[in-house]
Amino acid sequence: MKLDFILNGEDVSCQAEAGDRLAYILRERFSLLGAKEDCRSGHCGLCMVSLNGRAVPSCLVPAFRVRGAEVVTIEGFELTDDYADLRDGFRKAGAEPCEFCRGAVFLSAAALLDERPRPEATEILEHLSAVFCRCHDPSALVRGVQTAAELRARRMYFRANR
Amino acid sequence: MPRDRNESLSADIPLSDLRDEGMIRVVTVRAPVCRGRITDIEVPRLPRGYRAIRAEDIPGENRLAILGFDIPILARDRVAYAGEPVLLLAGPDPAVLEDLRSTVRVSVQEEEPVLEWESFSPEQVIQRRSAVLGNPEKAFEAAAEVLEARYRTDSQEHLYPEPQGALAVFDYDKLVIRCATQWPFHVRDCVRSVLGVKPQEVIVRPTPLGIPMEGRLWYPSVLACHAALAAVLCRKPARILLSRDEDFRFTPKKARSLVTLRAGLDPSGTLTVLEAVVVLNTGAYAPLASELLEQACLQITGSLSIPNLRVQGYAVRTNTPPLGAFSGMGAAHSLFAAESLASRIARDREEDPLEWRARHFLRKGSPLLTGERLRDRTTFEEIGSRLKASSDFARKHGSNELIRKRRSASRSEEAPRGIGIAFGYQANGASYAALASGTFTVETTLNKDLSLVISTSAIAGDEGIRSIWRSTAAGILGVPLGRVSISEVDTASVPDSGPSMLSRNISVVNRLIERSCIAIRSRRFRSPLPIASRAVHRPRNPLRWEEDAVRGYPFESLSCCGAVVELELDTWSMEPRILGVWLCVDGGRIASERFARGTLSSSTLAALGQCFRERLPFEEGRVAENGYREYGLLSLAEAPPIEIEFLPWSDTDPLKGIGELPFLCIPAAFASAAAQASDLGGESLPFDGAEYLAGMEAV
Repeated sequence: MKLDFILNGEDVSCQAEAGDRLAYILRERFSLLGAKEDCRSGHCGLCMVSLNGRAVPSCLVPAFRVRGAEVVTIEGFELTDDYADLRDGFRKAGAEPCEFCRGAVFLSAAALLDERPRPEATEILEHLSAVFCRCHDPSALVRGVQTAAELRARRMYFRANR
Repeated sequence: MPRDRNESLSADIPLSDLRDEGMIRVVTVRAPVCRGRITDIEVPRLPRGYRAIRAEDIPGENRLAILGFDIPILARDRVAYAGEPVLLLAGPDPAVLEDLRSTVRVSVQEEEPVLEWESFSPEQVIQRRSAVLGNPEKAFEAAAEVLEARYRTDSQEHLYPEPQGALAVFDYDKLVIRCATQWPFHVRDCVRSVLGVKPQEVIVRPTPLGIPMEGRLWYPSVLACHAALAAVLCRKPARILLSRDEDFRFTPKKARSLVTLRAGLDPSGTLTVLEAVVVLNTGAYAPLASELLEQACLQITGSLSIPNLRVQGYAVRTNTPPLGAFSGMGAAHSLFAAESLASRIARDREEDPLEWRARHFLRKGSPLLTGERLRDRTTFEEIGSRLKASSDFARKHGSNELIRKRRSASRSEEAPRGIGIAFGYQANGASYAALASGTFTVETTLNKDLSLVISTSAIAGDEGIRSIWRSTAAGILGVPLGRVSISEVDTASVPDSGPSMLSRNISVVNRLIERSCIAIRSRRFRSPLPIASRAVHRPRNPLRWEEDAVRGYPFESLSCCGAVVELELDTWSMEPRILGVWLCVDGGRIASERFARGTLSSSTLAALGQCFRERLPFEEGRVAENGYREYGLLSLAEAPPIEIEFLPWSDTDPLKGIGELPFLCIPAAFASAAAQASDLGGESLPFDGAEYLAGMEAV
């Protein structure tokens, strides 16, 4: 089947089999390797992408669901100000997810901040539970997201009052 | 955004993201049964460009040699566990390979698998250790009270962030192996031997490791051999990458353990004698059995000093996938038993567990199993008093005990609570048998432009360790941190620094960096730049196991730790909910407190997972298909508050390893808390709420 969708802000088109999942399409058709195709069952969350503004494990998204959708991977997200807030917030807070889960953690955190600009610790942990990695330090992740939320709020304020 | 084609040779890209032009994939055909003799392998006609690789096709030796054990790269005559690699299929299209794999028929004349291990036969024993301290017989005769207990721990999955695999590519006349390994030189030696080539013809460049939990010590060498065979026989770059399900079912897991303790107490309740039998189920082939067993035997008293001691250890072979190393190595098994026993004695005697332990703590000068006296100062008492204050242990423990005693046989609506404490130590630079028999080397070079390069084959695993190494070197030589770099690991250019494990990266590798930088400092302004220095580590007094005795000094230094775990049990399901964890650590000088806290927190979550969630679904010697989906993980949402305190240190204190400490202390603290809450034993992990519920109903 032919798939037309928006990938990292660009209109794209590709051929896919009915059984293909989004993670596979991203990695094999577009060489976007940020989403790890690890467990293929949605358990680890390392293949997280933003699908129409929601963070979802792309290994669970069937090809037909991608039609007309807007998909943002970590490669596209890295070019945004929201990413810079998260990167700086995590760095400031001393929270450094490993190279394997960083993309998934950042995309999940970004989706949370879109919904809840000032999230509580429990909300952050609940939200980031979708990503599993042995490197996670819960308190550092909470500090990272909350620091990023502050940076983001400050940036929004300056932008609104410029 | 497509990546550079030459990335297959560059560092910092995970194995699953590496591709090379013309790369073929490799899949494994596995043994269908746990034990038997291979009678036939029926391979269908393969399409052009596809190839089957059998044991007979191996040009060199069909064995992976490690610590005196031989493991077949591909099973030829016999299979020892379900899922053992029997045949490889190589070709360009993964989907075609999957179809072909399902059509290969491996016929095996099945034999009765050996799965029982708690009561094992002599033929199953692959390693045995025993040692005696003092006079246990006499001490038992004089004992006023003798008690016995059995402690079990089950297997656990490492769940490193990327399944195991390897890529073999050609770089002119060399074969370059890329894989996430903790031991690059072992990979090189195995591939060299399997291909029958010279060591310099094989180069290993590791890919990012993530948090390996000691699960990538030797198995990457097997997969590297598979990829190398396919590459050489098909004359194309080849990659093997296990699926998560394959990795979960067929790669090594944590060993299972049964520790039987018999303890003798004098009339004042002092533990005067301990007899221990440690049994480790190490599955099929068990290359690290000696290392695990020795650590388990040497730390059998936990944080306690016991003057009379007899320990017997057995590593036992079964027809399950290999079971072996996990963070905490063998010590985690025996510390769980010893510390649980300490809590039980205190409970039986209605004493505060902290006060009872204070009379028994290991101190400088305490006799060790090796006959030597402990040279290091221990800080268990100070750790205990800090934990007592931070967790409010005495009050909570006392009131929980009162509630436990008053609890009626009928179930209360109120969730029962428990709090437990345990202590332990991490043996740094442990000089155990074969892993330490080699020498570890680090080279440091101060260049003309005043940049400093550290060369080591030790794999840092994460940025924290790398930054500790760099700041150590920068501090000694007064070089700006930005001018210190760590060379990419490449077996062609870095010296052999042995296997990378949590305790060795800090206690051995960092000390070698210190030594080599001090040597450069002493030659600075006397010799022209560049100045290079090489530091070599050899165990000072390595262990020597004899019949019923062990000699030598078992470690270079020790890091002490104590843990308190508070929990409550759901009234109806008995599922534990962790209310809080308190850790107090004496890890010498803490180079980066932020990094240390992060490491301890993430290790605490993994250790808690082992206590009540992570249960491997073994059935008839094999892990169930798609067992990964059922594998319980402790999610971030369930993470309890974790309070970590470090004992004060000075700038002259040495750096010590701390990453294993949660695995050594938390299981026993958890079990003690669960025992208080449930009023039952707490003698086996993972804790099974349903089992306890049945027990309570019986009571």
